[in-house]
Amino acid sequence: MLKNYHELLGQSLPRLDGEPKVNGWHVYASDVRLPGMLVGRLLRSPHPHAAIRRIDVSAALAIPGVFGVITAADVPDVRFGVLVKDQTLFATDRVRFHGQPVAAVAARNEDIAERALAAIVVDYEVLEPIETLDQAFAPGATLIHLGWEGYEASPVCDRSGNVCNHSRIHYGDVKAALAKAHRVYEHSFTTPLQHAGYTEPRTSVAAWDSNGLVTIHTNCQLPFEVQQVVSEVMQIPLSSVRITVPGIGGGFGGKLRIGMEHYAAVLARHVGRPVRVSCTTEEELIAAHPRQAAHVTVKTAVDREGKLLARVARALIDCGAHAGSGPSVAANTLQLLAGPYEIEALDVQAYAVYTNKVPTGSFRAPSGPMANLAVESQMDIIARDLGLDPLEFRLKNVFTENSKGPVGEKLASVSIAECLNRAAEAIGWVRGNPEANRGKGMACGWWLVAGMSSGVVLRLNGDGTVTMQSGAVEIGTGALSGAAQILADELGLAHSDIHIAMADTQTSPYDYGSQGSRTLFNVGNACRNAAEDFKAQLRQMAGRIYGVPVEEVQIRDRGVVLPDKHVPMVEIAKIVNFREGGLLARGTTFTPGPAFDASRVKNHTLPAWSNPSFFAHAASVDVDEETGEITIRDYVACHDVGYAMNPAAVEGQIQGGVTQALGLALSEEIIYRDGIVQNANLTDYKMPTAQDVPDIRCVLVESPSVSGPHGVKGIGEPPCICPPAAVANAIATATGLRITSLPITAEKIVAARAA
Amino acid sequence: MKAPLTLDVNGMRHELEVSGETTLLDALREELGLTGTKKNCLEAECGVCTVLLDGKAVNSCILLAHQCEGRNITTVEGLARPGSLSPLQQAFIQHGAVQCGFCIPGMLVTAQSYLDELDGRAPDRDEVREAIAGTLCRCTGYSKIVDAIEAEALRLNAARWEAC
Repeated sequence: MLKNYHELLGQSLPRLDGEPKVNGWHVYASDVRLPGMLVGRLLRSPHPHAAIRRIDVSAALAIPGVFGVITAADVPDVRFGVLVKDQTLFATDRVRFHGQPVAAVAARNEDIAERALAAIVVDYEVLEPIETLDQAFAPGATLIHLGWEGYEASPVCDRSGNVCNHSRIHYGDVKAALAKAHRVYEHSFTTPLQHAGYTEPRTSVAAWDSNGLVTIHTNCQLPFEVQQVVSEVMQIPLSSVRITVPGIGGGFGGKLRIGMEHYAAVLARHVGRPVRVSCTTEEELIAAHPRQAAHVTVKTAVDREGKLLARVARALIDCGAHAGSGPSVAANTLQLLAGPYEIEALDVQAYAVYTNKVPTGSFRAPSGPMANLAVESQMDIIARDLGLDPLEFRLKNVFTENSKGPVGEKLASVSIAECLNRAAEAIGWVRGNPEANRGKGMACGWWLVAGMSSGVVLRLNGDGTVTMQSGAVEIGTGALSGAAQILADELGLAHSDIHIAMADTQTSPYDYGSQGSRTLFNVGNACRNAAEDFKAQLRQMAGRIYGVPVEEVQIRDRGVVLPDKHVPMVEIAKIVNFREGGLLARGTTFTPGPAFDASRVKNHTLPAWSNPSFFAHAASVDVDEETGEITIRDYVACHDVGYAMNPAAVEGQIQGGVTQALGLALSEEIIYRDGIVQNANLTDYKMPTAQDVPDIRCVLVESPSVSGPHGVKGIGEPPCICPPAAVANAIATATGLRITSLPITAEKIVAARAA
Repeated sequence: MKAPLTLDVNGMRHELEVSGETTLLDALREELGLTGTKKNCLEAECGVCTVLLDGKAVNSCILLAHQCEGRNITTVEGLARPGSLSPLQQAFIQHGAVQCGFCIPGMLVTAQSYLDELDGRAPDRDEVREAIAGTLCRCTGYSKIVDAIEAEALRLNAARWEAC
């Protein structure tokens, strides 16, 4: 009789915002225009490291059409930052990276703004930049932040000089394990800075209204964090800042940390007009929040049978000039360095290190591909050396159900062996290298779901549809459309009966945000709870309206079912509005992490991973004998998604994530020389086009999570983790060459062949 | 210096006054309010600004508006009547080819010009990939976009055989 029951779950339903995205009507932040709006632009440092002696803005201010020019002298002297408060809106006495904002102008149009920027005179005393991780990490290195000790910071960060966090997971007797080992292997790997590559530049439009409230229409991923930072920077109450996210052209973690919002807001206050600030592509490539560069060293000990005895590893994570997301990104490498493996003894350490380069962010699986490249490349090297099949060697060591994770947490729904076997089967895994210059490689891994809290508010509309308000931003993944599938299923409505409201800090319930592969997981759970509240209220109301006992009212089939009739939702919705003051319902969720052994872990923002997912990738590549050109012939990504709420959307996440990481594997790198970015344009910064990647084949495993809605696990970030290692291993099979630095270009292959 | 300009966009004639440096992209977005065409790299690398000029896909960020006088311009808003969707637009939704959607207007008009050139011939996936290689999509990994275009090309191909 429950006609709609589960008809909507696990279905590849079209996304709810599909139509406006194909007819051009969807409004993105960069489409917002307000009456009287001015153009804001930032003057950025041309030097990676310099002292500022003097700034003269008088010539810029004299240009007709320039409404205002501001520098550090015009804004509150406030330091901000998520974990370490080490940044200011504008450089004060010193610039620390090429691209750091020094001043801002508001002008009638772009041309005038450009001329004003050119007219600002800054007298710099150029200093030697600290460009590499090794330079910055060396004992006695020049300090990037002379006053680092005075900065306010989260107690989770263990800081010292150029290190803004040192985190560690340590258990077992590493020394003894190394001593009894059959063999010990040590290798180092490096990965470059990678731009998140969203197609819509970061853009914010700010306007002050009559209530003293600043409204910022912007394309950010975390409106509540941005609200907090704007209030801090401007020294105004949190509730005086309203952030709305109309539409966002990609994010991928590059739009987690604050972008242009605070600049638009201070300019708008300074000139008393709405101001729009949008980044150019050059600004995006020199001064956005890219993936950290990393230098990872792994030492692994095995016994004669190929069991992992010990691992000692060190990751240096290049945060750039500000800590940004770096302290937590560095900490998260630790679980990746352990890998999805049972290891007798472990000592893994990560250092978040300042350099005179671009401050970095939380690009999709922030620490994932860097640590995974090291661990999974080395797993292949060891297997080869021991004469084992890389698949067999991994299967010998992977977690099983109830294994203990690195911090002693008990693991559930462990599917890593199944993922490995199914990826191998799909790619046609063969041992060894049957064809010259052609080879297969694999890699596997695990990743968390960031928990924290989400709230959802539901409103029954007068036409019987339901509006779902969430503070999570629909960044394109379809996560909110998936949450609406859960909600419609619970309420007995059609998927298209659910309207998703725009994220708006003034009206949306709090949400920890679209990050950490958590949106469908957490918003979905909040939707289930909100649906319970909704149904309880509606049954009460229907009982009163129709004079029937509450227990005889059912909510299904797009309406209310009474003992003698079915009342369509549109009908009861009108009566609820007239007689009951409408219906608002609410649901929340909070997912705690698992119990763990705190003595094993230090200075970690997410010490024990919640509801982890498992995955294995396999690649088949050709390498040109002469040119070294690499072609991905076939690629399989097998992911345990817990439950595929919308299989097409899940595949879209996998295919997109793999493609981004293939970019990191083969072509993408923000290149610095003497502290200056050399390739700040999309001709020289090479992201994969449709011709650079094959059809990514997805294999879905559904081993339900403990606490996700209907068993859902996270899928946003995991697809980004394995591709570099899988490709590096395939190249090693094809050529016998082990390339240990990304991107693996044809030039590196040719050079390695010559060596 | 602004100068008069007549632009034919989506079957409608517009009389404008824009400077000689105004790009077609800015004329469409800022003068005509056709914000479906997107703005990003401004150097013809990303393809989000693609429109059809006399049926051919071009990057509107590097074309001057005055160069387009007397030409027929089609933007994403012109692919179907307001309130309805073309079969290609529907295929994009049905195949899950849309995520953040920012590249989609450029992808759609590029795909439309490819389908027009294909003229009912059977499609080839590599050829589809080549056709859309000028537009970057960071969300989808392209497979589902290729699926959608291929499905629509196959439908047109079948329709041509039926017509014979």
